[in-house]
Amino acid sequence: MRGLLGGGPPDDVDPFTPDDDDDEYRPQSARSVNSGLLSRWLVPRAIRRWAISLSIETPQAEYELGSAIPFRVTMKNALPIPITLTTRSPVLWAWTVEGLTEASHVDQYDPPDEEGKLHFERGERKQFAGEWSGRFRVTEREWEPADPGEYALGAHVNVDGHEGSLADECVVRLVR
Amino acid sequence: MALVEINDLTVNFYTEEGVVRAVDDLSYTIERGEKFGVVGESGAGKSVTAMSLMRLIEDPGQIESGEILFKGEDLLEMSEERVRSIRGNEIAMIFQDAQTALNPVYTVGEQISEVIRHHLDYGEREAKERTIRLLDEVGIPEAEARYSDYPHEFSGGMQQRAVIAMALSCDPDLLIADEPTTALDVTIEAKILDQLEDLADEFDTSIQLITHDLGVIAQVCDRVMVMYGGRPVEKAPVEELYYDPKHPYSVGLMSSIPRIGDTRERLQTIPGTMPDLVDVPTGCSFHPRCPYAEEACTRKDPVLVDPETGHEASGDPGEHAAACLEYTGDLTGGLDYTVEVDGEDPQITPGDQRE
Repeated sequence: MRGLLGGGPPDDVDPFTPDDDDDEYRPQSARSVNSGLLSRWLVPRAIRRWAISLSIETPQAEYELGSAIPFRVTMKNALPIPITLTTRSPVLWAWTVEGLTEASHVDQYDPPDEEGKLHFERGERKQFAGEWSGRFRVTEREWEPADPGEYALGAHVNVDGHEGSLADECVVRLVR
Repeated sequence: MALVEINDLTVNFYTEEGVVRAVDDLSYTIERGEKFGVVGESGAGKSVTAMSLMRLIEDPGQIESGEILFKGEDLLEMSEERVRSIRGNEIAMIFQDAQTALNPVYTVGEQISEVIRHHLDYGEREAKERTIRLLDEVGIPEAEARYSDYPHEFSGGMQQRAVIAMALSCDPDLLIADEPTTALDVTIEAKILDQLEDLADEFDTSIQLITHDLGVIAQVCDRVMVMYGGRPVEKAPVEELYYDPKHPYSVGLMSSIPRIGDTRERLQTIPGTMPDLVDVPTGCSFHPRCPYAEEACTRKDPVLVDPETGHEASGDPGEHAAACLEYTGDLTGGLDYTVEVDGEDPQITPGDQRE
């Protein structure tokens, strides 16, 4: 018998205990296709990017100063095959206000130096709801309210050169 | 030197919905033999903090920054092999759900004695003897006969005791108990808490007790840290927290404890829910639920300060610190509540609450 931690050798025989011979029998359920890997191998990068579209929208075009601005980001895979986009970091996508990520003048995250994967099933549509408080983060611990005016609310998938279908913007107006 | 010293710990989960900051810039210490409580609602970051201490954060979670010093050594810098030798041996954990913590196809006794054989190099007979002794100490009746039972043959309370026995099997220096009594009825809860205290005293073990129940903290702990939205909002010796709570969230938690003989028609609650950690409110993250919130609370994120002086908390184990703008002079209306001590049980009455 092999122990739970691969350690001690108890001498009783337990019918449920795995032993070394079990290694040759692979679980049948493991025979699935790694569609993410296949997508990366078989579908050219340009087509993968073309297949995914992103849009951002707000319920209204105009909000009163001081109120939060809800938004919805929609991503869609137009192809009937699974698609995986490789992102620059584990932060898969981001929203911005006037180009500032999450309306912040300070970097909020320090993600590990590794790629991320944004996976879409065939024809999948993903929707994410978010909210801009109507304030800008100016330091680590301080925020300032936005002035009246028009602001570009954007979202993009975190890939190099995310122009085109992987980014979108809409404009909201803040009024007194 | 403190047994455990956590400095500026930040843990993020990189999910499809966004970055979840489960623990944000958290620092605390646990002294040898101390019983340290961590309290907060579900989603406050209590369990993630404990998992970080065991270095058990799994993908997509990342310990992004900070250090976890255990006996002066940084757990985050250790090799996996070294961490495995500490885990279960010097730092043990009682998981929230005993039923899932136990392997259903091994006998309870075998699961405990294997830990002893693995970490302490005991022979099979000695490990079995020690396991039976431990099962007896945690109150499993007929421990010798029960040694060969499978987990499904144990009741919920007995399973929890078996998990406690497993955690104590190697005389750990630190025992992390993550809501050890949440799934149990109150009579078993009281017994298990007593046992935890007794056993910790007997083995001189430090305990980090994680719970959402302030009553449990009061019974067991020396010091307490109240967490909200992944951050500590108040740290205090347990009596000070009960008799003189300084943060509105602690006040809310305290005033929502039901009391025998209470004449109020409805139980007082904290309105709203814990924020979505992908989209944390600006300023003080508690401000949308705080009855005393002002405009300043939406713009400034308070740090832990000494409520008397307003100076940034020093991190001394005995100090009382709270993260509220009231203590840095940023609030104009103040915090309007009173604490009435009736017998041994303090009762908190909110004053006029502002909307």
